[in-house]
Amino acid sequence: MLILTRHAGQKIMLGDDITVHVMEIVGNNVRLGVEAPKRLPVYREEIWAAVKEENQASATADADAIPQTPAAKAA
Amino acid sequence: MSITIDSTRFGTIEIPSHAVVEFPTGLIGLGGSRYVLIARDENSPFVWLHSVDDASLALAVTNPFQFFPEYEVELSDSEAERIGITDPADADVYVTVRAAETLEDFTVNLRAPILISRGRGHQVINESEAAPVRAPLFVAATAEQAA
Repeated sequence: MLILTRHAGQKIMLGDDITVHVMEIVGNNVRLGVEAPKRLPVYREEIWAAVKEENQASATADADAIPQTPAAKAA
Repeated sequence: MSITIDSTRFGTIEIPSHAVVEFPTGLIGLGGSRYVLIARDENSPFVWLHSVDDASLALAVTNPFQFFPEYEVELSDSEAERIGITDPADADVYVTVRAAETLEDFTVNLRAPILISRGRGHQVINESEAAPVRAPLFVAATAEQAA
Protein backbone atom coordinates (compact mmCIF):
# COMPACT_ATOMS: atom_id res chain seq x y z
CA MET A 1 0.00 0.00 0.00
CA LEU A 2 1.21 3.47 -0.88
CA ILE A 3 1.20 5.75 2.14
CA LEU A 4 1.32 9.54 1.72
CA THR A 5 1.34 12.35 4.26
CA ARG A 6 -0.93 15.26 3.32
CA HIS A 7 -2.02 18.44 5.06
CA ALA A 8 -5.47 19.97 5.01
CA GLY A 9 -5.91 21.74 1.70
CA GLN A 10 -3.62 19.35 -0.18
CA LYS A 11 -4.73 16.81 -2.76
CA ILE A 12 -3.89 13.42 -4.21
CA MET A 13 -4.24 12.58 -7.89
CA LEU A 14 -5.26 9.06 -8.95
CA GLY A 15 -4.22 9.12 -12.58
CA ASP A 16 -5.27 12.21 -14.49
CA ASP A 17 -9.00 12.09 -13.75
CA ILE A 18 -9.50 11.46 -10.05
CA THR A 19 -8.68 14.02 -7.37
CA VAL A 20 -8.96 13.40 -3.64
CA HIS A 21 -8.98 16.63 -1.61
CA VAL A 22 -8.09 16.64 2.06
CA MET A 23 -10.62 19.29 3.06
CA GLU A 24 -10.39 19.42 6.83
CA ILE A 25 -8.94 17.47 9.74
CA VAL A 26 -10.76 17.67 13.07
CA GLY A 27 -9.68 15.28 15.81
CA ASN A 28 -10.09 11.74 14.45
CA ASN A 29 -12.10 12.84 11.44
CA VAL A 30 -10.81 13.69 8.01
CA ARG A 31 -13.17 15.33 5.53
CA LEU A 32 -12.35 14.29 1.98
CA GLY A 33 -13.64 15.58 -1.31
CA VAL A 34 -13.56 13.24 -4.29
CA GLU A 35 -13.66 14.53 -7.84
CA ALA A 36 -14.05 11.69 -10.31
CA PRO A 37 -15.59 11.16 -13.75
CA LYS A 38 -19.33 10.96 -13.22
CA ARG A 39 -19.58 7.39 -14.58
CA LEU A 40 -17.43 6.26 -11.64
CA PRO A 41 -19.38 5.44 -8.49
CA VAL A 42 -17.81 6.50 -5.18
CA TYR A 43 -18.73 4.58 -2.00
CA ARG A 44 -17.96 4.68 1.68
CA GLU A 45 -16.02 1.44 2.08
CA GLU A 46 -18.22 -0.06 4.80
CA ILE A 47 -21.33 0.41 2.65
CA TRP A 48 -19.58 -1.02 -0.40
CA ALA A 49 -18.49 -4.08 1.65
CA ALA A 50 -21.97 -4.61 3.11
CA VAL A 51 -23.63 -4.41 -0.31
CA LYS A 52 -21.04 -6.72 -1.84
CA GLU A 53 -21.79 -9.25 0.90
CA GLU A 54 -25.55 -9.10 0.25
CA ASN A 55 -25.03 -9.36 -3.52
CA GLN A 56 -22.90 -12.44 -3.03
CA ALA A 57 -25.44 -13.91 -0.62
CA SER A 58 -28.26 -13.45 -3.13
CA ALA A 59 -26.08 -15.09 -5.78
CA THR A 60 -25.34 -18.18 -3.71
CA ALA A 61 -28.98 -19.23 -3.33
CA ASP A 62 -29.89 -22.47 -5.07
CA ALA A 63 -32.89 -22.36 -7.36
CA ASP A 64 -34.81 -24.42 -4.81
CA ALA A 65 -34.05 -22.04 -1.95
CA ILE A 66 -36.33 -19.42 -3.46
CA PRO A 67 -40.08 -20.07 -3.21
CA GLN A 68 -41.86 -20.01 -6.55
CA THR A 69 -45.43 -19.20 -5.71
CA PRO A 70 -47.16 -16.65 -3.49
CA ALA A 71 -48.74 -19.56 -1.62
CA ALA A 72 -45.31 -20.79 -0.64
CA LYS A 73 -44.68 -17.40 0.93
CA ALA A 74 -47.11 -18.13 3.70
CA ALA A 75 -45.84 -21.68 4.30
CA MET B 1 -32.45 -12.40 -32.40
CA SER B 2 -31.97 -14.39 -29.27
CA ILE B 3 -29.17 -15.44 -27.01
CA THR B 4 -28.70 -18.70 -25.15
CA ILE B 5 -27.56 -19.11 -21.56
CA ASP B 6 -26.53 -22.56 -20.31
CA SER B 7 -27.50 -21.74 -16.76
CA THR B 8 -26.05 -23.94 -14.04
CA ARG B 9 -29.30 -23.45 -12.11
CA PHE B 10 -31.97 -23.54 -14.79
CA GLY B 11 -30.48 -25.37 -17.75
CA THR B 12 -30.55 -23.91 -21.25
CA ILE B 13 -32.49 -20.66 -21.50
CA GLU B 14 -33.28 -18.72 -24.67
CA ILE B 15 -33.62 -14.99 -24.17
CA PRO B 16 -34.63 -12.39 -26.78
CA SER B 17 -31.68 -10.00 -27.24
CA HIS B 18 -33.78 -6.97 -26.36
CA ALA B 19 -34.31 -8.37 -22.86
CA VAL B 20 -30.62 -7.99 -22.02
CA VAL B 21 -29.95 -5.26 -19.45
CA GLU B 22 -26.59 -3.50 -19.57
CA PHE B 23 -25.02 -2.59 -16.23
CA PRO B 24 -22.33 -0.01 -17.12
CA THR B 25 -20.57 -0.45 -13.76
CA GLY B 26 -21.78 -3.98 -13.03
CA LEU B 27 -23.18 -4.96 -9.66
CA ILE B 28 -21.19 -4.07 -6.56
CA GLY B 29 -18.55 -6.71 -5.90
CA LEU B 30 -19.71 -9.03 -8.68
CA GLY B 31 -18.43 -9.50 -12.20
CA GLY B 32 -20.35 -9.20 -15.42
CA SER B 33 -22.23 -6.29 -16.85
CA ARG B 34 -24.96 -7.95 -18.92
CA TYR B 35 -27.89 -9.53 -17.12
CA VAL B 36 -31.41 -10.71 -17.87
CA LEU B 37 -34.42 -10.98 -15.58
CA ILE B 38 -35.81 -14.49 -15.40
CA ALA B 39 -39.10 -15.43 -13.80
CA ARG B 40 -39.50 -19.15 -13.21
CA ASP B 41 -43.13 -18.69 -12.28
CA GLU B 42 -44.98 -15.53 -13.23
CA ASN B 43 -46.90 -15.65 -9.94
CA SER B 44 -43.78 -15.76 -7.80
CA PRO B 45 -42.71 -12.59 -6.03
CA PHE B 46 -39.11 -13.62 -6.67
CA VAL B 47 -37.21 -13.39 -9.94
CA TRP B 48 -33.60 -13.95 -10.91
CA LEU B 49 -31.15 -11.46 -12.31
CA HIS B 50 -29.05 -13.84 -14.38
CA SER B 51 -25.67 -12.98 -15.83
CA VAL B 52 -25.42 -13.41 -19.59
CA ASP B 53 -21.66 -13.89 -19.42
CA ASP B 54 -21.35 -16.21 -16.41
CA ALA B 55 -23.63 -19.24 -16.51
CA SER B 56 -23.32 -19.79 -12.76
CA LEU B 57 -24.04 -16.20 -11.68
CA ALA B 58 -27.63 -15.32 -10.82
CA LEU B 59 -29.00 -13.13 -8.05
CA ALA B 60 -32.33 -13.74 -6.40
CA VAL B 61 -34.23 -10.45 -6.45
CA THR B 62 -37.71 -9.15 -5.76
CA ASN B 63 -39.84 -6.06 -6.24
CA PRO B 64 -39.61 -4.33 -2.84
CA PHE B 65 -42.94 -2.50 -3.10
CA GLN B 66 -45.03 -5.63 -2.79
CA PHE B 67 -43.47 -6.27 0.63
CA PHE B 68 -42.76 -2.67 1.71
CA PRO B 69 -45.49 -0.41 0.27
CA GLU B 70 -43.92 2.62 1.97
CA TYR B 71 -40.48 1.94 0.53
CA GLU B 72 -38.72 4.91 -1.03
CA VAL B 73 -35.53 5.28 -3.01
CA GLU B 74 -33.73 8.58 -2.44
CA LEU B 75 -30.75 9.29 -4.65
CA SER B 76 -28.00 11.81 -4.00
CA ASP B 77 -27.57 14.38 -6.76
CA SER B 78 -24.27 12.82 -7.83
CA GLU B 79 -25.79 9.34 -7.98
CA ALA B 80 -28.77 10.59 -9.99
CA GLU B 81 -26.41 12.35 -12.38
CA ARG B 82 -24.22 9.26 -12.70
CA ILE B 83 -27.05 6.98 -13.71
CA GLY B 84 -29.13 9.52 -15.60
CA ILE B 85 -32.28 8.74 -13.60
CA THR B 86 -33.55 11.63 -11.51
CA ASP B 87 -36.82 10.05 -10.45
CA PRO B 88 -36.62 6.39 -9.32
CA ALA B 89 -40.31 6.13 -10.23
CA ASP B 90 -39.15 6.10 -13.87
CA ALA B 91 -37.30 2.83 -13.30
CA ASP B 92 -38.16 -0.73 -12.35
CA VAL B 93 -36.83 -1.35 -8.85
CA TYR B 94 -35.47 -4.64 -7.52
CA VAL B 95 -33.70 -5.59 -4.31
CA THR B 96 -31.45 -8.56 -3.67
CA VAL B 97 -32.78 -11.42 -1.56
CA ARG B 98 -30.76 -13.22 1.11
CA ALA B 99 -32.40 -16.64 1.33
CA ALA B 100 -32.43 -18.69 4.54
CA GLU B 101 -33.66 -22.04 5.82
CA THR B 102 -37.03 -20.59 6.71
CA LEU B 103 -38.94 -17.75 5.13
CA GLU B 104 -39.05 -15.89 8.44
CA ASP B 105 -35.31 -15.40 8.09
CA PHE B 106 -35.30 -14.13 4.50
CA THR B 107 -33.97 -10.58 4.22
CA VAL B 108 -33.64 -8.07 1.39
CA ASN B 109 -31.18 -5.25 0.87
CA LEU B 110 -33.22 -2.04 0.83
CA ARG B 111 -30.04 0.05 1.03
CA ALA B 112 -28.75 -0.82 -2.44
CA PRO B 113 -31.67 -1.25 -4.85
CA ILE B 114 -31.16 -2.11 -8.50
CA LEU B 115 -32.84 0.33 -10.90
CA ILE B 116 -33.58 -0.77 -14.45
CA SER B 117 -34.73 1.66 -17.10
CA ARG B 118 -34.67 1.45 -20.90
CA GLY B 119 -32.33 -1.53 -21.02
CA ARG B 120 -29.84 -0.15 -18.53
CA GLY B 121 -29.34 -1.17 -14.94
CA HIS B 122 -27.62 0.47 -11.98
CA GLN B 123 -27.18 -0.59 -8.40
CA VAL B 124 -27.45 2.57 -6.31
CA ILE B 125 -27.06 3.59 -2.69
CA ASN B 126 -30.41 4.59 -1.20
CA GLU B 127 -30.02 7.68 0.99
CA SER B 128 -33.36 7.06 2.72
CA GLU B 129 -32.96 6.43 6.45
CA ALA B 130 -35.49 3.59 6.42
CA ALA B 131 -33.39 1.36 4.19
CA PRO B 132 -31.46 -1.34 6.06
CA VAL B 133 -29.05 -3.69 4.33
CA ARG B 134 -30.92 -6.67 5.80
CA ALA B 135 -34.62 -5.98 6.11
CA PRO B 136 -36.68 -9.03 7.16
CA LEU B 137 -39.14 -9.83 4.38
CA PHE B 138 -41.57 -11.94 6.29
CA VAL B 139 -42.07 -9.48 9.17
CA ALA B 140 -42.98 -6.87 6.60
CA ALA B 141 -45.42 -9.21 4.87
CA THR B 142 -47.21 -10.20 8.08
CA ALA B 143 -47.34 -6.64 9.36
CA GLU B 144 -48.91 -5.65 6.07
CA GLN B 145 -51.51 -8.42 6.27
CA ALA B 146 -52.36 -7.47 9.85
CA ALA B 147 -52.77 -3.81 8.98
